[in-house]
Amino acid sequence: MTTEQPLILGELPSLSKLYVNAAATAARRRVLGFQAASALPHGSHEVRGVRADVANLTAYQHLIGETASDALPAGFIHALAFPVAMSVLNRDDFPLPLLGMIHLKNHVGQFRAVQFSEPLDVRSWAEDMRGHRAGTQLDVVAEVRSSDDGALLWRGVSTYLAKGVFLPGVDKAATAPAPADFTAPAPTAVWQLGVDTGRLYAAVSGDFNPIHLSLLSAKALGLPRSIAHGMYLASRALADVGSVKSEAFRWDVIFEAPVFLPARVALEIGTIHSASGSWERSDYVAWNPRSGRRHFSGSVTAL
Amino acid sequence: MPAAAHSASAPHESPVTQGTFRRAVVVGGNRIPFARTGGAYTKSSNQDMLTAALDGLIARFGLQEERIGEVAAGAVLKHSRDFNLTREAVLGSALSAETPAYDLQQACATGLETVLGLANKIKLGQIDSAIAGGVDSASDAPIAVSEGLREVLLDLNRAKSLPERLKVLSRLRPKDLAPDAPNTGEPRTGLSMGEHQALTTAQWKISREAQDEIAFNSHHNLAAAYERGFFDDLVTPYRGLSRDSNLRPDTSMEKLATLKPVFGKSLGAEATMTAGNSTPLTDGASTVLLGTEEWADARGLPKLAVVVDGEAAAVDFVHGKDGLLMAPAFAVPRLLARNGLSFEDIDFFEIHEAFAGTVLSTLAAWEDEEFGRTRLGLDGAFGKIDRAKLNVNGSSLAAGHPFAATGGRIVASLAKMLHDNGPVDGRPARGLISICAAGGQGVVAILEAYSAPEGR
Repeated sequence: MTTEQPLILGELPSLSKLYVNAAATAARRRVLGFQAASALPHGSHEVRGVRADVANLTAYQHLIGETASDALPAGFIHALAFPVAMSVLNRDDFPLPLLGMIHLKNHVGQFRAVQFSEPLDVRSWAEDMRGHRAGTQLDVVAEVRSSDDGALLWRGVSTYLAKGVFLPGVDKAATAPAPADFTAPAPTAVWQLGVDTGRLYAAVSGDFNPIHLSLLSAKALGLPRSIAHGMYLASRALADVGSVKSEAFRWDVIFEAPVFLPARVALEIGTIHSASGSWERSDYVAWNPRSGRRHFSGSVTAL
Repeated sequence: MPAAAHSASAPHESPVTQGTFRRAVVVGGNRIPFARTGGAYTKSSNQDMLTAALDGLIARFGLQEERIGEVAAGAVLKHSRDFNLTREAVLGSALSAETPAYDLQQACATGLETVLGLANKIKLGQIDSAIAGGVDSASDAPIAVSEGLREVLLDLNRAKSLPERLKVLSRLRPKDLAPDAPNTGEPRTGLSMGEHQALTTAQWKISREAQDEIAFNSHHNLAAAYERGFFDDLVTPYRGLSRDSNLRPDTSMEKLATLKPVFGKSLGAEATMTAGNSTPLTDGASTVLLGTEEWADARGLPKLAVVVDGEAAAVDFVHGKDGLLMAPAFAVPRLLARNGLSFEDIDFFEIHEAFAGTVLSTLAAWEDEEFGRTRLGLDGAFGKIDRAKLNVNGSSLAAGHPFAATGGRIVASLAKMLHDNGPVDGRPARGLISICAAGGQGVVAILEAYSAPEGR
């Protein structure tokens, strides 16, 4: 990461304001023209002493299917850090259009259980802008540390794609290898996702990206219908893996076909135990039970 | 005491608990602090709280991924979606998913009955370990649709054609839209529990001051127990709460005397039951870990107390002359007689404080010559307990009373008290638990400090 001092923000930025600003920036760039830089901004943003709101935590846990315990679900920490990450992508010197970016994959390291009462320092930055066959991709890193002793508790890396954006100096990636054929296994669960799934998750996560909210707002951004948040889907899969997982774990997800709402999503979770019988890993894959298209897949692994 | 034996439900030649059965040991317990309704746990469901209490127990005794013989718990106020509440809590906990569980409901006696039922299974050799528990939320209470709306909805589902559906819908009246919330009223009398107790309290001529004193002692004893660290290994914080939120360490007899009566107001000047000497609606959960001696030893776990015996009783409060919450007055004499014990053999009395008036009415009945003769079939009064042995670490008036969670709270606390106390006159310390319940029921039990059997 960058060695520069982080830009300390006084409080968590408002995501709705960031989205409005992103839309305004997009419009301004379209009207005035914009010579995109071919490099990411160097700085990181940080908010210190962040505390989870317990009422919001309970609502999140119930929506995701977690028991309302005092420990923060790993997906909740992602949502907690998300405004800081968004503020980085919202900088005037950020070269890619924020609206319409596609979440390709997500990696989280959860190093110990985090209690809701703990004060947290959240820092985020963007790195590794690189070519993709369909545009330009980059990683947005968020680190959550204990405000008390600075210990790293949680680290997330979200990979986003700015589709159709090709920047000078960023090499276009070679054509991706053809995806392996997917044959749907026997499902271990089927989710019924209502048309309000995006709105409900927006209410607990603060992620009011218009593509998730309604048919009209999604159409305005070129989608036929609203789609479920990727992190909602991955967090539900994590909840379904359940209490078998260790306190410290790695959590990966790769997003493929978006889930258009309303939807039925089939899921299979397989658990791998070590020779001594302790939990080692749970792999999950989700697909559309009608078309057989894969929506996402990933794993949760003991650390 | 032998005189009481003939009133026992079934005469026994010898105490049944001294046979060849294994011993059921209380290893320990864990609960979350109890919260006044509308407080810290407002949005937490029964399943959330039971899982929190369970996970605290699992962490304290290292039971992660352990397959427990059986888990039993229950809730009094229960959503229909919570039909498998305990099993769902087990699945959400760190226990092995291969741990079976069942739900039980016996009103406020739920928690104690789960302990007794599981202890019996352990004694019989059916299981080697068990977790008993209970949970209740008065905040997140179920609300049902009215009977009228429910019938319309069910008929609507069965109707096949549009005209049929419209005909069913036309039966709907505005009053059907009012929801049906749970209350503490007895179905057969329409009186709330507090109103019932107010009648009993007046019947036994219990004074306001005597009730306030019970409440005062409850708060001061519970506060002192927290100060001493007594609850450090019995309670796990939850949702920012580390002590029972109803606890008022600074309450005084003067403050309690200022409160206005809330129950039995029709009694006029004789109304004595206030918000101070009645338990408030509360949210919370508790759990108790039970096992055989071998099971505990194999894991290096403590053995605090032995579940000796239990007894249930019920009274005809609808048409008879007994108060709604007076069943323990009958259960305790039967239980002690069966075990060849009297009040002098008991070192700790844990009488659940549904209302201060309940405790005092029960004590008055036991001290009453006529009650002893006519109702218990004794030669005279059953007996008088030493008040210094009553609820020494506080009870429900201070801690609160999330209905099904109270039994687990008392069993875990009493087991620890018995263990800490050491032997009395060369025998293990002994405790009596008495819990009254809706429907005119009561469940009581005897616990004894664990001592290694001779030759071990």
